[in-house]
Amino acid sequence: MQSKWYRVLNVLAVFVMVAMLAACAAPTPQVVEKVVTQVVEKEKVVEKPVEVEKVVTQVVEKQVEVQVPAAPVTTMVYNSYQSDPAPRAADEETVKMFMEKYPNIKVVHSTVAHEDFKQAIRAYLTSSQPPDVMTWFAGNRARFFIDKGQILDISDVWANEGWNESYPKGFQALSTVNGKQYFVPTSYYWWAVYYNKKVFEKYNLTPPETWEDFLKVCETLKSNGVTPIVSGTKNAWPAAAWFDYLNMRVNGPEFHINLMLGTEKYDDPRVKKAFEYWAELLDNGYFIENAASYDWQDVLPFMLQEKAAMYLMGQFVMDSIPEENKADYDFFRFPIIDPAVPIGEDAPTDGYFAAANAPHPEAAKQFLAFLGSKEVQTYVAEELKRLPTNTEVDTSSFPEASKKGMELLAGADYIAQFFDRDTTPEMAEKGMAAFQAFWNDTTQIDTILADLEKERALIFAAE
Amino acid sequence: MATKGAIRPGRWRQSGGKTAWIPYLFLAAPLALFLMWVIGPMIYSFYLSLTNWDGVSAPAFIGLRNYVRLFDDKIFWIAIGNNAKWVISFITLPVVIGLALAMVLNRDIPGAKAIKSAFYSPYIIAPVVIGLIWGWMYQPATGLFNSVLNAVGVEKTPGWLSDPRLATWCIIAAAIWRQVGYVMTLYLAGLQGVDPSLIDASQVDGCNFWQTFRNVILPLLSPVTVVVVVISIIDSLRSFDLVFVMTRGGPANSSSVLANMMYIEAFNNYKMGYGAAIAVVLFLITAVFIFIYLWQTLRTELEY
Repeated sequence: MQSKWYRVLNVLAVFVMVAMLAACAAPTPQVVEKVVTQVVEKEKVVEKPVEVEKVVTQVVEKQVEVQVPAAPVTTMVYNSYQSDPAPRAADEETVKMFMEKYPNIKVVHSTVAHEDFKQAIRAYLTSSQPPDVMTWFAGNRARFFIDKGQILDISDVWANEGWNESYPKGFQALSTVNGKQYFVPTSYYWWAVYYNKKVFEKYNLTPPETWEDFLKVCETLKSNGVTPIVSGTKNAWPAAAWFDYLNMRVNGPEFHINLMLGTEKYDDPRVKKAFEYWAELLDNGYFIENAASYDWQDVLPFMLQEKAAMYLMGQFVMDSIPEENKADYDFFRFPIIDPAVPIGEDAPTDGYFAAANAPHPEAAKQFLAFLGSKEVQTYVAEELKRLPTNTEVDTSSFPEASKKGMELLAGADYIAQFFDRDTTPEMAEKGMAAFQAFWNDTTQIDTILADLEKERALIFAAE
Repeated sequence: MATKGAIRPGRWRQSGGKTAWIPYLFLAAPLALFLMWVIGPMIYSFYLSLTNWDGVSAPAFIGLRNYVRLFDDKIFWIAIGNNAKWVISFITLPVVIGLALAMVLNRDIPGAKAIKSAFYSPYIIAPVVIGLIWGWMYQPATGLFNSVLNAVGVEKTPGWLSDPRLATWCIIAAAIWRQVGYVMTLYLAGLQGVDPSLIDASQVDGCNFWQTFRNVILPLLSPVTVVVVVISIIDSLRSFDLVFVMTRGGPANSSSVLANMMYIEAFNNYKMGYGAAIAVVLFLITAVFIFIYLWQTLRTELEY
């Protein structure tokens, strides 16, 4: 008979294998000491339109008073999701500028891939040694952590820096919860239909303004063997842009935001109507085939090779277009479907916050003040062509594209953040899977919306 | 399994009761670590599955509500179905192909070593890299498969990973490609243990190749087969990396498996409690196969 020891080892070895599975879902949670029993006074941040037209040059140079703490050197940690090459370079340069200005603060800067950062942030914030400063998204995504008491109150930074004057009201609202500021919005960008000008010229097309014109453009392109619209929906968010815009154009931004906040239903006939416009494009074959096979950047070569023409994307799409081809690209406002409906646009705002239990809160505040300053915002706007939130930044020398983007947003009645920032992460996940399902088979729309409504009821009942 | 004639710890006990506690002394440290890092988190997962923990706030006990919701979740049943496809594919194709390769390559044919290495090499590549490489091959416009299909004149090429009906099978194909070499190696090792005199004897008795294989080699390989099948089942239930890299469970959850669903619910949707419930279900399913395996190995050991 074999020994018992041997058998025990066998059992243990096998259990290790199993436990690997179960242990996956069990990172040791830090029971948060500051359990915020907050009166849910839901401020609907997104409903307040960003006042874009307030971007006015202020000539007065304000001397920012900075209290430089005496030596020794403080070492603080900054975690960033700026993992694409161009933003990453700008990010690193910003850190360098900060350390040159404040030699007594050393910033340990680490960059985590965008999608991974979204998963990791909860672990960062609940650890006993969180990073001091982090990049994050304004709106619902930031609110989630602020409501749970995980984010440092930086009202003093806002007051000292005079941001209550130099930031437009819309951005102040995005950063404020119960009268206190927690967030530094630093840049935002617009969404629009980007197109290859060469293709449009070849077929004598002009950027469409109405839905009818848009359909005509698509039809002309298709009949000439050019794919009218590309999208890479392997990660489903590029599809969500189509839903955002169609729903806002057909039903108006107010209905859209309420749907995002869970107070309207997905089986509402109005939602279905928005999907019918989408189905028209899909059924006519105006979208690229097998969109779900591609990441969002993967479809750019088709546009570059003039095999495809248009892409509904954020301004950051230009980061991934080669320098020598940038001049071939332009954008136009998502076509108007019903002129009677107020115009909503997606303009996601990015920024920074600090952890509530940051080990170096003073250094963190210093860094946040620097990031929100005119100096840094001017630099980032020049490098990446994002729009600055600080109205002190001189925009008169901005390139044409940025001015056009600002105009586009100035003409909007409402500014939304984006599907996965305006609604809860879980609802966003289910919604985007539903868009993929719809994309694949438009005839299933009723089932898809019924399922989505079931999810919505569950998700928002739990809130 | 192959420790016949090795020193048995049992002899220690015979040599005197005084030293019987010594093995426990050596086991204490690993057991403590094992309890802390494996058993502890496992039990904690069970507890979390009964809470609504979101990863940030303090968990609140909600009874079996996560499970009730789980069994009503369409994605859960899609994922279970896909896991079943994985298990069935894994215990058939790689096992049969691996065994066939082992039988062929066990002889002294020229170049056998090179061929063995070639078949084993996918196993040493990280699954994430395999996912990326196969993902490129499946690319509908420029990928290898569709380029070949276009070259031979196929007009309507499939969308592979973007086709909900094909996505899971495409991922499984990549996984099988990786698994075959591993199974082959296990069988090659098993064949080394087959006594050549038994094969000679069967041939003296007039068996043809098939009879020898069916009645002599295969029964002698059965301990290896049990190991291979169980490892294949566990590997297939554990499948996550390839799915995550190649489709992230999409399009529209059509290629989701339990591990992938658990990851998305727990880490993307901030629903640790719900994710833990999925982990528990996955654990229970896996445990069934583990117990079959243990029961098998213990029984065969007794037979020897």
